Amino acid sequence: MADVLLAAKGVTVRFGGLTAVDNVELEVRAGEFIGVIGPNGAGKTTLFHTLSGVLVPSAGRLVVAGDDLTGRPAHAFATHGVARTFQTPRVFRDMTAEQNVRFGLEFAGRTRMHAHDAFDDARTILGFLGLADAADIPAGGLTPARQRLLEIGMALGARPRVLLLDEAAAGLTHTELEAAAQLIRRVRDELGLAVIWIEHAVRVLMNYVERVAVLHQGRKIADGDPRAVSKDPAVIEAYLGEEGEPEKKAA
Amino acid sequence: MRALGLRSILAATGVSAVVLAAMPWLLPDFWLSLALTCLMYAALAVSWAMFCGATNYLSLATSAFFGIGAYVTAWGLATLSYPVAVILGGLAAAAFATLVGAAVLHLRGAYFAVLTFGLGELVRHAITYFEKSYFKTVGRVIQEAPSSTTVYLTVLLIAAAAVCVCAMVRASRLGLALAGIGADEERTQTLGVNARRAKILGFALSAFFAGAIGAAIAVRWTYIDPTAVFNPFIGFQTVLIAMVGGAHTLIGPLVSSVVFSLLTEFLRLQFPYAFLILLGTLLILLVLYLPGGLASLMQRRWVRG
Amino acid sequence: MGFWLDLTASGLITGGIYAVVAVGLNLQYGLMRIMNIAHGEFLMVGAYLTWWAHTALGVNPLAFLPVVMVVLFLAGLLVYRVCFLRIARGAPSVEVIEARSLLVSFGLMYLVQNAVYLAWGADLRGYSFLTEPVEIAEARFTANRLVVFAFALGASLALLAVLRFTLIGKAVRAMMQSPVGAQLVGINTATLHPVVFGAGLALAGVAGALLSMVYEISPSMGEPYTVTALIVITLGGLGSAAGCLAGGLLLGLVEAFGMHFTNPSLKMLLSYGVFIAVLLARPKGLFSK
Repeated sequence: MADVLLAAKGVTVRFGGLTAVDNVELEVRAGEFIGVIGPNGAGKTTLFHTLSGVLVPSAGRLVVAGDDLTGRPAHAFATHGVARTFQTPRVFRDMTAEQNVRFGLEFAGRTRMHAHDAFDDARTILGFLGLADAADIPAGGLTPARQRLLEIGMALGARPRVLLLDEAAAGLTHTELEAAAQLIRRVRDELGLAVIWIEHAVRVLMNYVERVAVLHQGRKIADGDPRAVSKDPAVIEAYLGEEGEPEKKAA
Repeated sequence: MRALGLRSILAATGVSAVVLAAMPWLLPDFWLSLALTCLMYAALAVSWAMFCGATNYLSLATSAFFGIGAYVTAWGLATLSYPVAVILGGLAAAAFATLVGAAVLHLRGAYFAVLTFGLGELVRHAITYFEKSYFKTVGRVIQEAPSSTTVYLTVLLIAAAAVCVCAMVRASRLGLALAGIGADEERTQTLGVNARRAKILGFALSAFFAGAIGAAIAVRWTYIDPTAVFNPFIGFQTVLIAMVGGAHTLIGPLVSSVVFSLLTEFLRLQFPYAFLILLGTLLILLVLYLPGGLASLMQRRWVRG
Repeated sequence: MGFWLDLTASGLITGGIYAVVAVGLNLQYGLMRIMNIAHGEFLMVGAYLTWWAHTALGVNPLAFLPVVMVVLFLAGLLVYRVCFLRIARGAPSVEVIEARSLLVSFGLMYLVQNAVYLAWGADLRGYSFLTEPVEIAEARFTANRLVVFAFALGASLALLAVLRFTLIGKAVRAMMQSPVGAQLVGINTATLHPVVFGAGLALAGVAGALLSMVYEISPSMGEPYTVTALIVITLGGLGSAAGCLAGGLLLGLVEAFGMHFTNPSLKMLLSYGVFIAVLLARPKGLFSK
């Protein structure tokens, strides 16, 4: 079995009286492509913030490739190989697309132990994502869909072992979505990364990931094969209580 | 206009420095003194913009760093040589900046600005107290001041060094980190930048030049006391010059410092208060209507490309 | 016994002023993310207006307080409209609003301060008012200091009551917690923002007016209060008016006692020391949950 690259152990996040994430256990190994789903307010993005070091959990531990990084700042997570995208693309608007991708390579990408030579170069990464023609355009001038791809490029520039994708599907058409998902799968295949993809719209994920974890009101209520999870009564109820069956189409 | 490469900038600076070095033998005293003021503000504005222009952190601590450097000279000139005092002044300011930066740079920008604003007063009070308690004195007389030519050449050297260091930083990873921090600090950290360390380093580097200038210029006064040396106007002028020129560029503050030094020289003594009212108004209008400074009119950008 | 009371009283009086000044800044920054570094200058303006009214027109400073409030409130509306509205409307992010409002208010500071220099010169000014001593429990105070304390405390408590019990106060608190939510419920930010800004300046002006009754004034007197206000906000927690009151009083006490046992010149060092200590130990303020 491949090594555990990222492990959340008993992670809890409390904001005042509200418990956003409640004692969540999650493990991901090299080469795994897993999804994290759940209704609105389930705590998915908050969990992501702890996995990437942006937020320090109120309790629990975060272990990246064997090193306990709980409480360390975000750049420590990045240099240990955890890269993420943001729900709303946060690209460096005044820098060109190439400079945006090169950013990760200059910093987290430099110090990482497990470099993947195929992706040493900003232009190669842009080409892989279909953004080669945009290399010298300021990132602020790209369409939102392309900015979303650039976000992935920036994360790849950091030469991650684990890629966290935060609602990468929002706002994309069905075709665009299929293309993005295929892309991510290729990234995983070629680089041996672990990928965690959170998504609110569920149908999309289910076709691509090998494993799904479901959060509801901060707690993990299911974790396993996508088909089995989609038939889990607890999962169906969680979604019914919110908006409808988990089999609903992508927004 | 094309942005210049690092080597061109260094070469241009070197050539200008050599040309300017000839001034003591060519200019009459009044104009030389003016040139000195221009160089002083050039160094202050460029080093300020190096950190604050990139990161968008507003540092109002220039007066504090300047004053620290001045006092290093005041205390040390008798025992140390002038160049050593200048370097030590810079180092003392940098050390202070490192301390302060470690304490407050992780705060949001607004807090950082107000706190650096109070630093000038803080250091002034501390030194006043120190001087009164231990040395039983209010001010100091500078004895054996170096010649005005020496002072001019020293300030010229510091200014040239500031320009070169700024250019080198902009082309380096540190410059990239600072620019990223200015654009989106949290994002930058998720890409592996240790924002705290980068900010402290940038802040200390810019403080070094302010302190060196303070140490060098102090000898122009024959009598030094805290009120004269910790003058908030120096900090205000530095910020204004950098903002008018365009804090995201290298050339903006340089050109702007010459213009402002001339303006100040001719207007300030005549209409001290009205002049400052004018400057205050200018800064307000600038930030409201042209936040990128004059340089943004010429489409120059911090990150080339 | 009298000595300790005297020291405590001094601290509380200064602290009361700090609280009033800080609340104004807290509202402005907490609501609109406008960091007005010229805040202290309006305190100074309030002081000068009162001094001028008393020495030139013979008006009782206490009676003049409402006038100061109104004048500075209106000035606040004007300043907001001219200097800050554009920033609030045009900025792409909160950080940019902060950065630009800082710079604008930096310029404003020089403008206001030097306008006063131009009008009234650089000499220290002052007047005597209610200088008869009053004795309470073995400690002697001049009446004016007691009055200052009473008014500062009264103003802070009145403000707390407004925020807690009136509709507009609740609107302000709602906005500070959730700007979007408040707008959805129909609270009008376009009117509320200038009003809060004006209220902040009015409070600063009142503090200045009160100070002028006890101390001498100069055009540069306002600067330290801006820094102190920020320290108080940190102590009390951003967005909490009650925290400001408590934090202000606390800071005043720490300064009074600290200055006595070390040296008056180290007042700023003490405040900064307190600030750093609170930041390290309890970044959200001493009174946060």
